[in-house]
Amino acid sequence: MLLDVRDLRVEFTTREGVAKAVNGVSYGVAAGETLAVLGESGSGKSVTAQAVMGILDTPPGRITGGEILFKGRDLLRLKEEERRSVRGAEMAMIFQDALSSLNPVLTVGDQLGEMFVVHRGMSKKDARAKAVELMDRVRIPAAAQRVDDYPHQFSGGMRQRIMIAMALALEPDLIIADEPTTALDVTVQAQVMDLLAELQREYAMGLILITHDLGVVADVADRIAVMYAGRIVETAPVHDLYKAPAHPYTRGLLDSIPRLDHKGRELYAIKGLPPSLTAVPPGCPFHPRCPMARDVCRTDVPPLHAVERGPASGPGRGSACHFWRDCLEGSARR
Amino acid sequence: MATTAPVPGTDTTTEPILEVEGLVKHYPLTRGVLLRKQTGAVKAVDGVDLALGRGETLGIVGESGCGKSTVARMLVGLERPTAGAIRYRGEDVTRLSGRALKAVRRNIQMVFQDPYTSLNPRMTVGDIVGEPFDIHPEAAAKGDRRRRVQELLEVVGLNPEHVNRYPHQFSGGQRQRIGIARGLALRPEVIVADEPVSALDVSVQAQVVNLLERLQDEFGLAYVFIAHDLSVVRHISDRVGVMYLGRVVETGTDAQIYGHPTHPYTQALLSAVPVPDPAARDRRERIILTGDVPSPADVPSGCRFRTRCWKARQRCADEVPRLAVPEAFRGGGGPAAHPSACHFAEERRVVPPDEPVPSRGGAR
Repeated sequence: MLLDVRDLRVEFTTREGVAKAVNGVSYGVAAGETLAVLGESGSGKSVTAQAVMGILDTPPGRITGGEILFKGRDLLRLKEEERRSVRGAEMAMIFQDALSSLNPVLTVGDQLGEMFVVHRGMSKKDARAKAVELMDRVRIPAAAQRVDDYPHQFSGGMRQRIMIAMALALEPDLIIADEPTTALDVTVQAQVMDLLAELQREYAMGLILITHDLGVVADVADRIAVMYAGRIVETAPVHDLYKAPAHPYTRGLLDSIPRLDHKGRELYAIKGLPPSLTAVPPGCPFHPRCPMARDVCRTDVPPLHAVERGPASGPGRGSACHFWRDCLEGSARR
Repeated sequence: MATTAPVPGTDTTTEPILEVEGLVKHYPLTRGVLLRKQTGAVKAVDGVDLALGRGETLGIVGESGCGKSTVARMLVGLERPTAGAIRYRGEDVTRLSGRALKAVRRNIQMVFQDPYTSLNPRMTVGDIVGEPFDIHPEAAAKGDRRRRVQELLEVVGLNPEHVNRYPHQFSGGQRQRIGIARGLALRPEVIVADEPVSALDVSVQAQVVNLLERLQDEFGLAYVFIAHDLSVVRHISDRVGVMYLGRVVETGTDAQIYGHPTHPYTQALLSAVPVPDPAARDRRERIILTGDVPSPADVPSGCRFRTRCWKARQRCADEVPRLAVPEAFRGGGGPAAHPSACHFAEERRVVPPDEPVPSRGGAR
């Protein structure tokens, strides 16, 4: 396993109290694998990634437990210097908003080249040549002419390509992409996702794709982890999960999205709202919104059960629902 | 009444209540401070024809910069068109002023995209929802307003007792309901909704879409529903118009556009939408467009899409394609016979047929 996150816990101190943004999250990514982390705002999907990457703002954030094993080493035990050499060179991140992630007063060539100057000790001239090469790799037309342009001179899709180029520069083993195409139009999104998938295959990188879009997940992911209120509520190979979800939240999400291929009748809507992280309900955090909730759900936190029997079950499936069997069978009958 | 022969592509399923013809919005580009000289124009909207039937939903889709939001703003009178007509019940709104204009605007209301910036943070919910009554006092007697506001809150599924709360005390989905209640206050016939669910989480989005559909049935509303999410638009719309760089390139019923698109841009757009079904990965044909949308200040000659189109030939640079039923389909009828502004229109199925997909609608 390239990355193995175990029982990670992150808290934030806010005016309303302590928010448990990540509450015992475990997931793994192998080389060449794509793990999608799916969740709505406030589910903890981005905070988990920031903790892995080592770019969490502390304070107000605080890692209160768990391990982040990357190629066998626990990143949480490394000194900041050692961590810095991992970041960028061995794992890199792609953000949603390329315009605010790139430095507006430096040319893209300088920003791309900086990676090689700082991490590889290259001369400025060699670094510039590398920058052109990278821009070519991510298919920016006329790279040699555009290397001295500033970020604002590129379109949104092109800027996102530059971010991908930056992440790939040092050929890391793991890429974390946090909503990489959310700000892009759908035709551009398709171009960028295509490029990302191709480069991942070529370099056999692990990819963590953080998203709220069930369509994007279905297109590219091998495995999926669904997060809700700081926990993973379901994890599975992507085909199994879409065929028969084993958690009522996942099922609700799948049922609530309109379809492109037919008009459909009234949408299923999960009632209520996601909880505030400073006041997560006792028991199963999803119980106030769950159509299957019973008494035990209001008192006992469900562990991540192995989903071993039943339709579309298999190794590596887990569901944090007391009644995953009922849910799975109900899903399969839909 | 100015109803002449219907503009092609604007035949509604019911009697039209709102008709748009040749709508244009150009923003001048100027140089110089004292001696301002116009050097060009951003052609945000450049000749749009649309019609909306009574109680019908017209979806408008397109990518950023295609002009869909500018159309919306002109429909509700937030922008003045450079040219063209907007007819409400046959009367050209762009020529009205004063009292007559005010009366029309009462009937065409807007719901905005961002529930965080479209509500004044210093006004209570009651003031926000009741504000339309200040502008149109004839719509509700002074003593009756509080009751009317509470009624409206109830209609959109909010607690009427929360009338004295402020926007920040509500979640995004609830704020969008407040925006909808404000849009409903004057009992309009038409609501123009610009990306009303785009800022919401998936689980909340379905609640708001269902609310909009329920309100449509209850009050007989007609919607112009603008969004970039093609699945949401299909779900809610009776008819759909696809825009590209200031023009409508294809219009038809939802089944015609999604099942039988004939314009290459529509086909590329639909094929790019990720479908939440991993089994469709291999069954689907993806059309990946090259390049970016050209600047609306420097529009290509002829067909605007030709710079990214895989079918483009000389004719596309020379001749602007008209939005009309393409000749090839004119005789036969059938679902492909709908207006499409392409010289070389042909049918191509890009949305996988839905048979192999299990039917949804489970955990109710």
